[in-house]
Amino acid sequence: MQSDNSGPIVKIRDVQPDCVNFVLSECDLALANSVRRSIMAEVPTLAIDIVEIEENSTVLADEFISHRLGLIPLQSDDVDSLLYNRDCSCGDYCELCSVVLTLHAKCTSEGIQTVYARDLLVEPNHSNLKIGQPILNDDANKGSVICKIKKHQELKVKCIAKKGISKEHAKWSPVAAVGFEYDPWNKLKHTDYWYEEDADKEWPKSDYCAYEEPPNPDEKFDYTAKPNNFYFDVETVGTINPNEVILRGIRELRNKVAGVIYSLDEIVARNANEGNAENIGGAGFGTVYGGATQYGGTAYGGTAYGGGTQYGGTAYGTQYGGTAYGNNSAGNDDYNPTTGWD
Amino acid sequence: MNAPERFELFLLPDGTPKLQIEPDRKARNAAIIEFEREDHTLGNLLRAQLLADRRVIFVGYKIEHPLFPKFKMRIQTEEGYKPTEALKNACASIISQLSSLEDNFKKEWDTKMFAHEVMDDN
Ligand SMILES: [Zn+2]
Repeated sequence: MQSDNSGPIVKIRDVQPDCVNFVLSECDLALANSVRRSIMAEVPTLAIDIVEIEENSTVLADEFISHRLGLIPLQSDDVDSLLYNRDCSCGDYCELCSVVLTLHAKCTSEGIQTVYARDLLVEPNHSNLKIGQPILNDDANKGSVICKIKKHQELKVKCIAKKGISKEHAKWSPVAAVGFEYDPWNKLKHTDYWYEEDADKEWPKSDYCAYEEPPNPDEKFDYTAKPNNFYFDVETVGTINPNEVILRGIRELRNKVAGVIYSLDEIVARNANEGNAENIGGAGFGTVYGGATQYGGTAYGGTAYGGGTQYGGTAYGTQYGGTAYGNNSAGNDDYNPTTGWD
Repeated sequence: MNAPERFELFLLPDGTPKLQIEPDRKARNAAIIEFEREDHTLGNLLRAQLLADRRVIFVGYKIEHPLFPKFKMRIQTEEGYKPTEALKNACASIISQLSSLEDNFKKEWDTKMFAHEVMDDN
C-alpha cells in the first residue's frame, strides 16, 4: 500500500504499568481498526469459567457470586502453555487445560468482613508459570471485592479457570478499553457534530489536536484525503502486559489472514488432485472466461464450449461444477446469484 | 439450557470449509467467496486491501444475517487475473504489513523501556 517496505510506523507516547498510548501511521484505517478489534476480542486470556459451590451462606446467590468470580482478572502471561478445554483429551478438566483456584472465607467476629480476590488460592500445579494468580493492582494489594460477610456466614468454593477469548465472553478480554481516534480536527468530515449555535465552541477539542495542523477554512475540501494517524490508548485489565496485548493482537490477526491463504492453497491442491488443473489450463476463472489463449480469441464463440472434450464434460455445468472450486452445486443452472452488494 | 455454545461464533466445526468459492455468473472474472466463522475484522481488512489492487475492478462484502457468523465477499478482477489470485495477494500484503508492524512496535517499545531505565537511574 505504501511505497516503501518499512510498513506501519509506531510512535509510543506514554507507557504506564497497564496502559500504552501510541500513534500508528503509514497504514490504512481498515488495518488499524482490525488491529483494534483483534486486541479487544481475539487475544486469549484466563478466566474462571466453572464454580463448584460447597458452602454459601452469604447474602448473595450462588450464580451472582459465580458471575463475580468469572470477571476477576487472573494472570495470563503464560496462557499459551494451556490448551483450550474443548481441545483437551480430558473429559472434564485437568492441569493441561485449566487452573484451579479455591476460596474459603468464614466470618467469626462481630462486624463485616470483606472477601477479596487475594483470598483465592491457586492450586500449585502451575506455580512456576505466570498463570492464574489473581491480579492485585490496587494500593492495598487486595484485588477485587468478591462479597461481604458477617458473623457465621461462610463462602467455600472451587473455581476452574479456563483459557478463552473475549468473543465468547467479555470476561476473557485482556483490555478494559481501547481508545481509538483519528483526524482530531474532523477535516475528513467522517463525523457530524451536533450543535445549538456553533459546534466549534460547544464541543471540547481532542487532546490529539496538538499533533495535527488545524484546518485552513479557505482551503477546498479534499475528497481524496485519507486518515493517516491513528491514536491508540490501550488500557489493560492487568492480566497481560500492554505491549504483549498489542503484539498478541497483531499475531492473532495475522494468523487469521494466514488461515485464508492456507484455505485457498488447500482448494487449489484439491483441484489439482482431482486432475482439474489441466482441464482448465490451471488458470481457473481467469482463462476460462478470458479465453485469449485457450480459445484463440473466440472466447464465447461456440466451438470451444461446444466441444465438451476439452473440459471433460459439457459446457458451463462441468466447468464450474465442483472442478474449479470444489463445489458441485455451483455450476448448476438453479444457482441463484446473490444480488445487492454493499 | 439449549442455547448454542458461544464459541460456535468463531470456532470452525470439523469438516466445514473456511472458504467456499463460487463464480458470479452475471459478470466475467468475478467470484463470490463465503468466509465461514469470520466477521468485519477480516472482511473489512481484505476489502480495503483488495481495493488498493489496481487490477481489482470491484470488491465488497456483506454479513447477510447477524445470527450467522460468516460473510460473503464479491471480487471482480481484470482479464487474466483471477479473483482468488487477487485475494491471495491481498492476504500476503496484509501479512507483511502486520509483520513489520510487529517489528516496529517491538523496536519502539524497547527504545521507550531503555529511555525509562536511563531516567530511573538518574
Ligand atoms: Zn484437560
